Amino acid sequence: MPGRDFAGVRRYANNKIREHNTMSDPYKPSLVSSGLLAALLLAPLAQAAPDSDKPFAEHKVVLQISDDDPFKQTLVLNVANNLVRHYGADKVDIEVVAFGPGLRLLFAENANGARIHSLAESSGVRFSACENTIAAMTRQLEYAPGINADATRVPAGIVRILDLTGEGYRLVKP
Amino acid sequence: MSKSIRRILGAGIALALLVGTSAQAANWLALQGNEVPGAAERANVWGFVQPEFQYTEGMELKAGPFAGQPAAFNMIAPDQDSNSSFNLRRARIGVRGTGFPLDSKVNYFLLLEAGNNGITRNGSGSVRLTDASVTLNHLKGARIRIGQFKYPGSEEGLMAIHVFDYINFTSVTDQLMLERFLDSDGSVASVGANGPNGSVGAFRDIGVQVYDWFDTGNWEHSYAAMVGNGNGIARGDNNSDKDLYLYWASERVFGGQGPRRQGWKLYGWHQQGKRTLATGTSQATADFDRKRWGLGTTFRKDKYRVGAEYIRADGMIFNGTDGGVVAGTLNNAGTAVASFNMLPEDEADGWYLDFGYLLLPKLELDIRYDRLNRATKTAAEERRFGTLTLGAQYALNKKTRAILNYEIRDAEAPRLADSAVPNRILDGMDDRISLQLLAVF
Repeated sequence: MPGRDFAGVRRYANNKIREHNTMSDPYKPSLVSSGLLAALLLAPLAQAAPDSDKPFAEHKVVLQISDDDPFKQTLVLNVANNLVRHYGADKVDIEVVAFGPGLRLLFAENANGARIHSLAESSGVRFSACENTIAAMTRQLEYAPGINADATRVPAGIVRILDLTGEGYRLVKP
Repeated sequence: MSKSIRRILGAGIALALLVGTSAQAANWLALQGNEVPGAAERANVWGFVQPEFQYTEGMELKAGPFAGQPAAFNMIAPDQDSNSSFNLRRARIGVRGTGFPLDSKVNYFLLLEAGNNGITRNGSGSVRLTDASVTLNHLKGARIRIGQFKYPGSEEGLMAIHVFDYINFTSVTDQLMLERFLDSDGSVASVGANGPNGSVGAFRDIGVQVYDWFDTGNWEHSYAAMVGNGNGIARGDNNSDKDLYLYWASERVFGGQGPRRQGWKLYGWHQQGKRTLATGTSQATADFDRKRWGLGTTFRKDKYRVGAEYIRADGMIFNGTDGGVVAGTLNNAGTAVASFNMLPEDEADGWYLDFGYLLLPKLELDIRYDRLNRATKTAAEERRFGTLTLGAQYALNKKTRAILNYEIRDAEAPRLADSAVPNRILDGMDDRISLQLLAVF
């Protein structure tokens, strides 16, 4: 399953549990048992850091940008960069979640595009774009805004933040 | 957005806020109206004030019909009432942004002037709109700017004035490019003072411009083509002809961003149009060509910066005032009032060479020599101006800067005898000391 698709891990485990509860075939228990075992083994991973690229990360940070102040864009990128410089790219796991007016940071045309790409490629910083906001902006613009290719779309930015904080990420809003 | 866009526009806001030292090697076409894509404010309020003090010894005219009266070139502009004066030279407030932040393709730029200068003294009101433009960035390779804004041309005119390294313009820029709009050539005394009929041009026009910039490796190339009224700011055209402005620049970029970007720039420009003027004894009105063109270069690397430009002019040559006195002054005989003059079919040329050295992180030393050869087609009218400016700039902080200039000024009528009245008048040209404080907010 996809390394970042933590939701899929949970769905897989839940399906296996449901299969076990409804199964009547006497030959199935072995498969069910193995599936249940797999679910039980995988369940902890579903709650762990979503990015297996940094298994040695000692610090996990989610940076929120949700307002349209251009200086906040620079600031959140500076904070990400400073964290990487201080701890090292392998020791800190960073995800920037943009929603609301802050989603402008992840517009394809944004002047910070080169810097975002550098942080993503060189330091493994992840960028998440809220699809709810994209939909709202599409209605305002009457066309869909281009999103930075280094960004991953998430259904809802605030939900993404809550999920990450539930998984041990510290929320920082510069 | 390309790295070049970020490199230029990353300081689009910074240009409005920061006060560095040199302004060489910046992309002025972009900085005067483009916003940072995806990272600009809806409305960014900014401005600057430039209080100053200027002084000359106030030498009076030594010869001519106004002998003994104050020489216009020794009086402090724009009022010319004294040879030493404090003045609020510029006080500008503006707002710029995207208007609709989700759409970076549409930018706007507004700027008001409330200082005491040629923009506000001539014309109605003490507050003038200097810039009001909308920039459309929809077409790749052809951005469009519409409204009132700086036309593409000479470096001193095109650059943002609040990052200018000196207090006063060179003579060539001041007299050939900072256009005065007159109704008459001043040749008939009965016309009176023949003063300007509006604000100085302020290097601006009302029209439409197509422009853009491109990267090829380490080089950035920019172009601009503009059509405008050619009749100054905040008013419509006064004839059916439109002015055409053409501009090209190529810059080898070394690094950095915004006004402090290090690079070596080569540029050229051309402008042409027609002006309506009453001339001769009959004061019949006719249209005359006005052409200007120039070539220049700027260089900035580490602590050093260099600037040089050569400008030629054909037609509508500003020719000072009668007898060198302040316009509107009654002559000693009480028979005529001094007026401004214009030579509609003469020529002129000039150049300047400028060096700057960052002695300390906050202190830059500057030296500039400029030359203007005015009315080169007419022996009796030809004048030559040479000015050596010694300067120092001290940055109190990133938004505040003090500038001190000492100008060693010289002028002559090169094709007339030393004993001729014009040369005796010009011998009285004083040196000038200027001190200015610039504060950006």
